[in-house]
Amino acid sequence: MKVTGYRVELYTMKMERLVGDANLPSGVEMLPGSIVSLETDGGLTGISLGYGGAAIEGLFGIIEGADPREVLGLWIRMNDFLHKAGNEGAACAAMSAIDMALWDLKAKIAGEPLWKTLGAREGRVKAYASGLDYCLSDEDLFNFYRRMAEQGIDGGKLKVGLDLKADLRRLGIMRDALSVASPQPLLMIDSNEYWSPKQAVRYIRQLEQHFELQCVEEPARRWDYHGLRRVSEQVEAKVSTGENLHSLRDVYPLIVNRAADVINVWTGQSGVTGLRQIAHMAHAYGLEVSMMNAQANYMAQVAAALPNHNMMEVVDPGREHCLRWDHRIEDGYIVLSDAPGFGIEIDEPKLRALQVNPPTGRGKFPFPRREGAGRYIVPPAPGEVPWRSG
Amino acid sequence: MKITGVKATRPAGADQKSCIVELLTDAGAKGIAIAAAGARAQIKRLVKERLIGADPRGVTGIWQLMSDPRSAPRGKAYRNAIAALDLALWDLKAKANGEPLWKTLGGARPRANAYASHRNPAASDAELTTWFQRMAREHGLRGGKLRAGADANGDARRLGLMRAALAEATPDPVLMIDAGHSWPVKQAIDRVRAVEQQFDLTWIEGVSRDGDSRGLRQLSDSIYGAVCAGTGLVTIGEFLPHFERRSADVIALDIGAVGITAALQIADAAYGLELPVTLAAAPGNIHVHLAGAMPYFMSAEIVDPLPATGLFTSDVRIADGWAVAGDRPGNGLVLS
Repeated sequence: MKVTGYRVELYTMKMERLVGDANLPSGVEMLPGSIVSLETDGGLTGISLGYGGAAIEGLFGIIEGADPREVLGLWIRMNDFLHKAGNEGAACAAMSAIDMALWDLKAKIAGEPLWKTLGAREGRVKAYASGLDYCLSDEDLFNFYRRMAEQGIDGGKLKVGLDLKADLRRLGIMRDALSVASPQPLLMIDSNEYWSPKQAVRYIRQLEQHFELQCVEEPARRWDYHGLRRVSEQVEAKVSTGENLHSLRDVYPLIVNRAADVINVWTGQSGVTGLRQIAHMAHAYGLEVSMMNAQANYMAQVAAALPNHNMMEVVDPGREHCLRWDHRIEDGYIVLSDAPGFGIEIDEPKLRALQVNPPTGRGKFPFPRREGAGRYIVPPAPGEVPWRSG
Repeated sequence: MKITGVKATRPAGADQKSCIVELLTDAGAKGIAIAAAGARAQIKRLVKERLIGADPRGVTGIWQLMSDPRSAPRGKAYRNAIAALDLALWDLKAKANGEPLWKTLGGARPRANAYASHRNPAASDAELTTWFQRMAREHGLRGGKLRAGADANGDARRLGLMRAALAEATPDPVLMIDAGHSWPVKQAIDRVRAVEQQFDLTWIEGVSRDGDSRGLRQLSDSIYGAVCAGTGLVTIGEFLPHFERRSADVIALDIGAVGITAALQIADAAYGLELPVTLAAAPGNIHVHLAGAMPYFMSAEIVDPLPATGLFTSDVRIADGWAVAGDRPGNGLVLS
């Protein structure tokens, strides 16, 4: 079977609610979507979801006519092709998208779900809930984590960083909501790089006087291996980072310098192939990895086969407008089906409708960085968030 | 496809060191691996306790289950048994897809850069010359590795013979030596420095122990050539000291010891540091199948280009300096 062509579909989604973090606590509800499809002479189509649509053309020539089953070798070819300009930015996004679609095809050719192609014994991944919740009222916050806990999910990750007292109160709300799933829920926080390393240490220390934290995500800048390591050494919680890095090349200084205890992985890190490389290197150093959230949780397919994966982030703002899938969450686990490949199908009429009549709404993902980040805290202005300070 | 049982048989006659593993399935396909004879009992036990009813396509997960440090016994026989079963499972996974193993693993071509390796330290000069000439002439191999001997003068003479023999394939042969773990570090430094007066060595392996990262770093700092290590190591964690200390410049993997699943993981980890990976020879040269799936693959060791044991055939061919895997489904081993 050979790759014969490609199709890029760009569209815009309006989520069912706002999502926000320390950089934009008021949140956004608009999200760009990109679907890359690789067509073959065998009638199968490989798809990838994400942000990779823009620069496919420059890389497609490398894989045109190739057998998708040879995806690792094709990854090497694409990476070698990008030698001079670098596997970065739009090129990296395109390479990630192509690699994902090739893996989808490889699994579809074998007639099996991707988790099986990757060698997993079962299509089952432990989940934790992530509210993307700085824009949620206390009540909506509770409702989100309770809804997740009712599906057996016993871990939660709260957006924090701008208001210590409010964050303490909201950590308590998250814990209470999750307590129906476990008497000791796993509590995590994420400041999305709003702090300097020392700000992070001070802030987290104060949180840890009241709560046992499993993990703190992006407490300092993504490349700052000295700073991240300092945070890890000075707080009880594990430090996780990596979602804004895009290849093993970017991540390796964190691994060899033991700057993070958990590496966040996702398919934007040079595809399934690239994220597996990161996970395998982390594994050699005794580090865990954690899969980032994904539309319809499609990346659970990959997480299921990683030797050192702990749990995957699950969110539910509603980003699946034109997707069909049939996996589910059961007893705190993402349970994948036997549908071939990623197990995702495109609802073409709905996609067309989104393209023809793009919805409108507040803001647009991704967030810019907030004023003061890394230096001083700018707390939410009156009316910026639906929760009270302190 | 489900595993229903295993046959692990000692071949009659000459080869007493190996056993033939046939992993049986309800679909009729058999997963073939050639394992160390000492692993036979553990292979049978592992299949009975862990593998019956499992789908071989879940090989990575099965490997994890077998090698979980919380339940896996230590010891060479057990590790060899896991590796052999991992090889047989990958053979089945490829056969389930009706494709050669190199394609199942994701490689884009069946071809691997290869070198000739003569492992007998007691070989006569005439034997060495004849053998390397054949490797160059008939298989186009442009690199050679030989076992260093007892005296320094002998090393230089034998390297000279190997270089002259390989000159039939290339004006600039790649030269490597294996000390067979007979030299402590200091002695290796003296011996390699002496050799490096006359020869450009690509790497030296088999010095001290493979886990001696401090000693091997000292060696690497003292010689021009690369230090190659890893064939004595088994788990991914055992390679960590070399990654941390940059003590091995080339990572050598023996799939008979680590299996395919872990070999690919270790190769990815080595790629993080851009350490080249070389694969030690495996029966039937099936190690060649892994080359295309490794992001920083360097070379495949060839000890016997035409394995003719009478026990099995392989469709890996060595020609023009390359080892090329064939199109038979699975790893290409067919039992005689």
